[in-house]
Amino acid sequence: MSIEAVGITKRFGQFAALHNVDLTIPSGELVALLGPSGSGKTTLLRIIAGLEFADQGTVRFNGSDITDQSARERRVGFVFQHYALFRHMTVFDNIAFGLRVRPRKLRPANSEIDRKVKDLLSLIQLENLSHRYPAQLSGGQRQRVALARALAVEPSVLLLDEPFGALDAKVRLELRRWLRQLHDEIHITSVFVTHDQEEALEVADRVVVMNEGRIEQVGSPDDVYNYPATPFVYRFLGNVNLFHGRIDEGQAYLHDAVDQVRGSRKGNTTVYVRPHWLEIRRQPNDQNHFRATITHINSAGPLVKVQAVSEWGSPVHIELSQERFRDLQLTRNEAVFVTPKEVKVFDGDPTA
Amino acid sequence: MGTAITFRNPAIVTPKIAATTESPLVRRLLTGIAVIFLSLFLLLPLVMVFSSALAKGFAVYTASLREPDAWAAIRLTLLAAAIAVAANVVFGVAAAWAIGKFDFFGKSILITLIDLPFAVSPVVSGLIYVLLFGLQGVLGPWLAAHDIKIIFAVPGIVLATIFVTFPFVARELIPLIEAQGNEEEEAALTLGASGWQTFFRVTLPNLKWGLLYGVILCNARAMGEFGAVSVVSGHIRGRTNTMPLHIEILYNEYQFVPAFAVASLLALLALLTLFVKSGIEWRSRQQPAEMEAATAGKGPA
Repeated sequence: MSIEAVGITKRFGQFAALHNVDLTIPSGELVALLGPSGSGKTTLLRIIAGLEFADQGTVRFNGSDITDQSARERRVGFVFQHYALFRHMTVFDNIAFGLRVRPRKLRPANSEIDRKVKDLLSLIQLENLSHRYPAQLSGGQRQRVALARALAVEPSVLLLDEPFGALDAKVRLELRRWLRQLHDEIHITSVFVTHDQEEALEVADRVVVMNEGRIEQVGSPDDVYNYPATPFVYRFLGNVNLFHGRIDEGQAYLHDAVDQVRGSRKGNTTVYVRPHWLEIRRQPNDQNHFRATITHINSAGPLVKVQAVSEWGSPVHIELSQERFRDLQLTRNEAVFVTPKEVKVFDGDPTA
Repeated sequence: MGTAITFRNPAIVTPKIAATTESPLVRRLLTGIAVIFLSLFLLLPLVMVFSSALAKGFAVYTASLREPDAWAAIRLTLLAAAIAVAANVVFGVAAAWAIGKFDFFGKSILITLIDLPFAVSPVVSGLIYVLLFGLQGVLGPWLAAHDIKIIFAVPGIVLATIFVTFPFVARELIPLIEAQGNEEEEAALTLGASGWQTFFRVTLPNLKWGLLYGVILCNARAMGEFGAVSVVSGHIRGRTNTMPLHIEILYNEYQFVPAFAVASLLALLALLTLFVKSGIEWRSRQQPAEMEAATAGKGPA
């Protein structure tokens, strides 16, 4: 089922959570709403679910207007960040809840409910914990139960509010891969909210980057990462260094590194460089370099993270491979030459 | 036959010196003061109640309870308590729900009003009803014209009891509801449950221990209430006397054994209440996991 949100505006008192947001989610996709806290992503999700109502705007499922329908009528599966399992019910009863509260005419027979819950238990790989209470489960298990409970009612769409937000890093990684696999099996239109760009880029078919109640960019993970539409998207999707650069004849200069710029703007601009696009050398490289002094080295991890201070006194973050780091044998307080290999300039950026 | 094996529990070792522990002398002194105080002011009177009640043997004791006026007082007390508890459960759950879940105009006024019976002397509460429903009261002439008796009759006693026990259930539930938040209800809603289904299957089960606790406190107070009921009762023997009022009358007439016999019933009730209350507290301590789950929903949004 496709989801369309048109012109959604929502205020909480003085705070404007969403400004005239338009979003279309095609049927069967797994979409991430990505943004910092306060960007309106959860509010948008809750408006789609019918747990919150927009001040203005329309929500459509498969083209039909459901703006005024309650959450109960919308038949959405909703998964909460803190699971919201019914704590006085067993795992089995939690999953069966949605089927048992149906009006008598629509309620499946007990044996049918039984069968269905067991299928879901095997889907979430918790068959032998069906008589446990939520408090006796780990965070990851609870969230899987919450997911099974949401799926039990065969929802038209699945909405997940920071589903992995309360889990520790390792479980989080496992569970999001599992969610991706699950989605590949059942193809239910799914929207999940996250503030973790890695999670969004890894799991989603499509990423919606939000900021301050507006959508900054919608696109595939590759699109938003490699072709960010706005400086915000670029900065939110990874670490970045900001430099004052110069634009001349369609080219941006940070020393000699170049990025194509449309139009014939001239003057100073902000230049964005990812830490791994900065190369450390011991020797100067023609004109394309600046001097920096290393202030801190963190070599734990796949990449070595180096902090330095540039010749004009601003902090610079650089990432390099362990191999390169070993070759260079860098130490603290050492003076080095830094060469930008790739830079990014945005058209609409205010010239600084 | 196999060899008998005895398991010996290792002695439970508690650290001898904790940072905040006082010297043994101070500890024994403080414990001693507490024990002496409790024995003198709580235990001794309790023993006295029972020993006085049974001073002339068990036959006299039961006879004093079976005496018609005493029996009427017991029934009236039970009736008033039952109605008051039922009314305050309905009111308490509704008020706590409204206060805990929603923001509305006049919320703080409602909270203050719920606390009013705690702040006002019971005698004043009784007087309020006399001034309202009494013959010279605001509604008195109208009630008299329609032959409805409230003051010096059972309805007045029930009303006064409800008034003084007003805060117990609501006060117990408000913090509980506020702590639990809305998420489980929202989950029920998205799963297709109606409002009533959500209330009876999700909300109420989560409140059951708090509710039971509130009911017990409410009941204890309802049965023991003296001041407010005394004002509106009129002390008509066999008709408007509750147990506490009956005890007072008997005592004033120097009928000590019957007085203490009825008093022993109230004391027994109090002991039972304490027993159930500790039982509930013990039960909820046995489920630390459930408690933990209750607070788990309060992470950063």
